[in-house]
Amino acid sequence: MINPFKPEMAVITEVVKETSDTTTYTFRFKESETRETWGFEPGQFNMITVFGIGEAPISISSGPGDTGFFQHTVRHVGNVTNALAKKRPGDVVGIRGAYGTGWPLRLLYGRNLLIVAGGIGLAPLRPVIREVMRQRDRFKEVEVLYGARTPGDMLFVREFPDWSKHVNLRLAVDMVPPGVKWDHKVGVVTTLFSEMFSQPSNTVVLTCGPEIMMKFVVRGLLHMGFSPDRIYVSMERRMHCGVGKCGRCQIGPRFTCKDGPVFAYEELAALPEEVLGGVGR
Amino acid sequence: MAVTKTSSVPDMVVLSGELWQELLKLVTAQYKVIGPVRRGSEHVFAPVKDPRVLDMAYVTTILPPKKVFHQPFQVLFSFDAEEGTLAEAESGEEKVVWGIHPCDMHAIAILDKVYGVEYPDPYYLRNRENTIIVAKNCTEIGEDCFCLSMGTGPALRSGYDLLLTDLGGRYLVEVGTAKGRKLLSGLDVPPAPRVVLVEKEKRLSQARQRFRKRMVTQGIQELLEENFRHPIWEELMRECLACGSCTMVCPTCFCYNVVDKMDLDLKTGRRQREWDSCMLLEYAQVALGQNFRRDRDARIKQRIYHKLLYYEPQFGTLGCVGCGRCIGACVKRIDITDVVSRLAESVESER
Repeated sequence: MINPFKPEMAVITEVVKETSDTTTYTFRFKESETRETWGFEPGQFNMITVFGIGEAPISISSGPGDTGFFQHTVRHVGNVTNALAKKRPGDVVGIRGAYGTGWPLRLLYGRNLLIVAGGIGLAPLRPVIREVMRQRDRFKEVEVLYGARTPGDMLFVREFPDWSKHVNLRLAVDMVPPGVKWDHKVGVVTTLFSEMFSQPSNTVVLTCGPEIMMKFVVRGLLHMGFSPDRIYVSMERRMHCGVGKCGRCQIGPRFTCKDGPVFAYEELAALPEEVLGGVGR
Repeated sequence: MAVTKTSSVPDMVVLSGELWQELLKLVTAQYKVIGPVRRGSEHVFAPVKDPRVLDMAYVTTILPPKKVFHQPFQVLFSFDAEEGTLAEAESGEEKVVWGIHPCDMHAIAILDKVYGVEYPDPYYLRNRENTIIVAKNCTEIGEDCFCLSMGTGPALRSGYDLLLTDLGGRYLVEVGTAKGRKLLSGLDVPPAPRVVLVEKEKRLSQARQRFRKRMVTQGIQELLEENFRHPIWEELMRECLACGSCTMVCPTCFCYNVVDKMDLDLKTGRRQREWDSCMLLEYAQVALGQNFRRDRDARIKQRIYHKLLYYEPQFGTLGCVGCGRCIGACVKRIDITDVVSRLAESVESER
């Protein structure tokens, strides 16, 4: 019997510091068979093991078209992620996955796409952006709204010039420290709504960020007339298995690990338990 | 029940006195047996070497026999933190669990769905495959029992290898599977006449009349869905200590935590899972201290809503089997049947 709890070994091949507390790691499976057969959908996550410390669910931040390797962009805020911060190229971690639902890529083909991300929430959306860049013709208008606390907290900044060739990228920060140059918006990510070109018609929305952010994103978009059945959110919950067994990630009858982390917003709105601050109920 | 015959052992026998003792002796000699034994004023499922310690008149046990299959502590594998090499936990020996009540059998059927679907859990399923189940119908009803109203007792209809019914000084033994039949193979007994089933049904019918507690299940899903913000949850929040005892003794609770235990050399260790409880503060806490169920009423509701509302879409069944252990284990005597009745009455009186 296949043991879903047994991690595969993966070697860290590259470490890129994104911000003061966030790092992008590139991994390569040790087993060639795993390298050849393993795949994922944008929006899915892996359980990453640092042996002796534990396991944590982290979304995959590379594109599905990136073959032979995969990436995770990790904010160092907990036991496993802080242990990961000490890892260097050549070190080995355990990987199980890919788990969970991905973003509804098929639904996006031939439609406009609006991505709204906050902070580390951009990591699970980067695979979508990379997929858009790889197959630009399959999508219509694509707009990305990204907010972070300060300019120094923005992820993937080195890729922004390349992204801007393919998608309309708009940036906002909550505050700009003295002496830092900033040519974009100051304010929460929803302040970008007033200047975006995305319209409700034929547009699918993907959003990931802190729940409080997603609450105001969904509320704002519903108010502007975006269809509730075309808004998708990616949820964070505590997970210890990734396969619907440990129970920790339950939201009502849904397991975030296997029924999510990407949910149609309407699915969450129908739950008795209040999610996203009960927006739209 | 259709049963493949592996020997001349009959489908149904009645054992009393020496033959009953003979069966117990044979089984305990051949297998590792786990059964109900007395511990102080209560009972527990424990290894039984000497059949004389088996207390078949037990009403309930502190922990359900779930612990044999979904173990309180389960080593998933061992590892070397530097090399990352893995060795999987070894499989256990074949064993017999003796005297499981119908409520606990229904709970195991629910856990079979939890652990058997989508990503089958090799540890749970291995424990299930390695175990022969001897169930026992209930002719004595405890003060907290309400299986009758949950449709999970006091009589069992399927899922057992052997099924016992106490006919007063003698046991009716019904064969459910070939594994069960094997347990009887050392005995030379004639088949029981079918008329003995009349006696069985009479005793079970008498047992049904002795229930003192019942859960109001009619309309329960609608009741819960419409009253997520009812004041009763705040009342409960003031009573409940959020100690988690109710979930620790529950036969259908399946949640667990996972920890890496390092050896003293800080090089090798084991990954282990441990029972967890949605009633505890840390259960839904994530990095940076965010907690999706920080408030106690949110956790109380999670337990009750999960059992009585969410199991249905998840596993196609109610998540409560009416064993009553959560009532007995609660230091504040919070009674899930009473909570539902009070909620229903309060809603009714507002109409």
